[in-house]
Amino acid sequence: MTVIATEHLSKWYGQVSGLNDVTVVVPSGVTGLLGPNGAGKSTFMKLVTGQLKPSQGQVRVLGEAVWGNPKLFLRVGFCPEQDAFYERMTGLEWVTALVRLSGFPPADAAAVASRALETVDLLDQADKKIGAYSKGMRQRVKLAQALAGDPELLILDEPLNGMDPIMRRRTMQLIRDWGREGRSVLVSSHVLHEIESLTSNVLVINNGRIVAEGNVHQIRELIDEHPHTVFIRAQEPRALARDLLAEDGVVSLRFEPGALVVETSRPDAFYARLTEMAARGAAGAIEEVTSPDDNLQAVFSYLVKS
Amino acid sequence: MTLSADRPRDPATAVPPRRPPSFWNGVARVFDLSIGEMLWSRRTLFMAIVLGAPVLLALVARVVQAAGIAPLRVDGAPVSGPATFGILVWWVYLRFIVPVLGMFYGTALLADEVEDKTLTYLFTRPVARSAVLIGKYLAYCVCTGLVVLPSMTIVFLLLVPFEEMGSELATLLTDLGLLAVGLAVYGAVFTLAGTAMRRPLVAGLVFAFGWEQIAMLMPGYLRRFTLVYYLQGLVPHAIPDEGLASLLAAVISEPPTVATCLIALAGALVVSLWLAVRVVERREYVLEQ
Repeated sequence: MTVIATEHLSKWYGQVSGLNDVTVVVPSGVTGLLGPNGAGKSTFMKLVTGQLKPSQGQVRVLGEAVWGNPKLFLRVGFCPEQDAFYERMTGLEWVTALVRLSGFPPADAAAVASRALETVDLLDQADKKIGAYSKGMRQRVKLAQALAGDPELLILDEPLNGMDPIMRRRTMQLIRDWGREGRSVLVSSHVLHEIESLTSNVLVINNGRIVAEGNVHQIRELIDEHPHTVFIRAQEPRALARDLLAEDGVVSLRFEPGALVVETSRPDAFYARLTEMAARGAAGAIEEVTSPDDNLQAVFSYLVKS
Repeated sequence: MTLSADRPRDPATAVPPRRPPSFWNGVARVFDLSIGEMLWSRRTLFMAIVLGAPVLLALVARVVQAAGIAPLRVDGAPVSGPATFGILVWWVYLRFIVPVLGMFYGTALLADEVEDKTLTYLFTRPVARSAVLIGKYLAYCVCTGLVVLPSMTIVFLLLVPFEEMGSELATLLTDLGLLAVGLAVYGAVFTLAGTAMRRPLVAGLVFAFGWEQIAMLMPGYLRRFTLVYYLQGLVPHAIPDEGLASLLAAVISEPPTVATCLIALAGALVVSLWLAVRVVERREYVLEQ
C-alpha cells in the first residue's frame, strides 16, 4: 500500500529551489528520509503535511490530496522539527488542547492525552509547564501530540534531536513497533545510523532531489563502493603506514601530525585488519580511529557523483 | 493505541472514536486554546498600561473635584462629570484605545503563531483554517472586551456623580455597546491586514492614525471611507456648544443615521473577516527554521 505519492513535485521559494521534480512512492511501514541539513527534508515534510502548496506537481497522502484538506489529519499525526510550544501551558494541557482540536470529545481528550504522554514516558511530568521542560522532554511532548490520535501515518521531522540515549532508544523502539503494527511512519533525520536503526527503507534527499531510494543496505553498499576515509591517531603512524600499505583495498595514505589518513575501498576488511593490528600492538598504540565519511555530507557527495 | 514502546497493544486502552470537529466546534476549541494564551501574552501588559491611563485621569479628576475645583473647563465654563465621561469615551477610548488594541491584537492573531512557530500545530489538525482564524478572532474580542469594558465602567463610576448615575445608566450601556462594536470592527479590519500583509502594523498605524484622522478633517465624502465616521454616529452624548466640545461637534457634523452606521460597520466587519478567511485558506505560512 502506498501512503505517500508525489509526482514531479517541486517547490520554489522565490528564486530558490526547495524541492526539485520529486517523483516518489512511500510504501506502508517505516520509511526514513535521510539528508543533510538544507537538503529539502523539511520542505518535503511541509508539502506532505499541507503546510506548503506545491509550485509544480502533486502530492497525495493516504490516497487523498493534502493542500486544503484538513480532514486528512484525522489519519495523520505530525511532529514538526521546530522547538515551539505554548510555553505557559503544562504538557497535559497542551496535548489535551491539541487532542480536542483533533476531533476527540472533550470528555475523552484528557485521557487520550495522558495515554500519549505515558507512551513517551512523560506522564509524571505532565503537570509541569512546558517552559520548564528540558530539550529532551520537549521533544517527547511534541511526539506525544503527534501520536495521541493513533494515526494511520505518523510524520516525524527529526524526532530524535536532543533526546537522551535512553529515550532515543525507546523512541526508536516505539517507531519500529508502530510500523510492525501495520501503521506507517515517515521519519526524517540527517544521521545515517539513526535511520539504519529504524528501518531498511529509505529515501535519500540532497539539494532538493531524491538521490537514492530503497533498501538502506543497498545504499550503504553503494556508498561502500567509493573509497572510505579513515583517520587514525597512532603513536607510530609511519610504522602503521608500512603495514597498511600492503593491505588489499588501500587506495591512498596521507600523514597528518601524529596521525594517518587512509582511503580504502574495502572498509569492512580494513577495520577488521586494523582491530587485529591494534590487538597485536604491531605498530604501536592506536589512540583514535574516526571516519570523516560519517559526515553525511560526504556520503551524499558520493551518491550524487555515482 | 500502544501506550508504551515496551508494551503490546491493549484493547482496553483503545483510542475512542472521533470525528472531524464541525466548523463552529473547531472555532470553539481554537477559542479555548487561544483565550488563555492571549490574556497572558506580552500584549496584556501593554493593554493594562493603555487602559490604566483613562482610569488614572478619571481618578485625578475625581480627587480634584472632591477638593472643590472643576477638573475640566472649556472657555472658563466647568464641564460636567457626564460630559467629561463622554469626551473620554470619544477621544480616549474610541479614537485611541480601540484602534490601538484592534491593531496590536488583530494584526497579531496569526503573526504571533508564525513568529512563535506554533501555527503548525493548528494547521495540521482536522480543523479548517477559517475556523482557526475565527476562533482566534473571537478570543481577541472577548480578551479585549473583558479588559476594556470594565475600565470604562470604572471611569464612569469615578466621573459621574452618584445622583446622576441612574439617569446616565442608559448612556453607559450604549457606550459599552459602542466600544464592543468598535473593538469588533477594528479587530476584523486589522485581522485582515495581519493575514494579508507582510508589515501589518505599519499599515495599521497609517490607517488608524493617518488616514482616519486626515479623512475626518476633509470635507466631502472621504470620511465615509473611515470606520470612525460610522462609530461617531453611534455616540450617544450630547455635544456642548463651545470650545473643545464645539470642535468635537464640528468634527461629527452631518452624522449618519444609527441604522446607516450599524449597517456600514457590520458590512466592514463581515467583509474584512470574509477576506481574511479567504487569504488564510490560500496562503502559505512559511516558518523560518
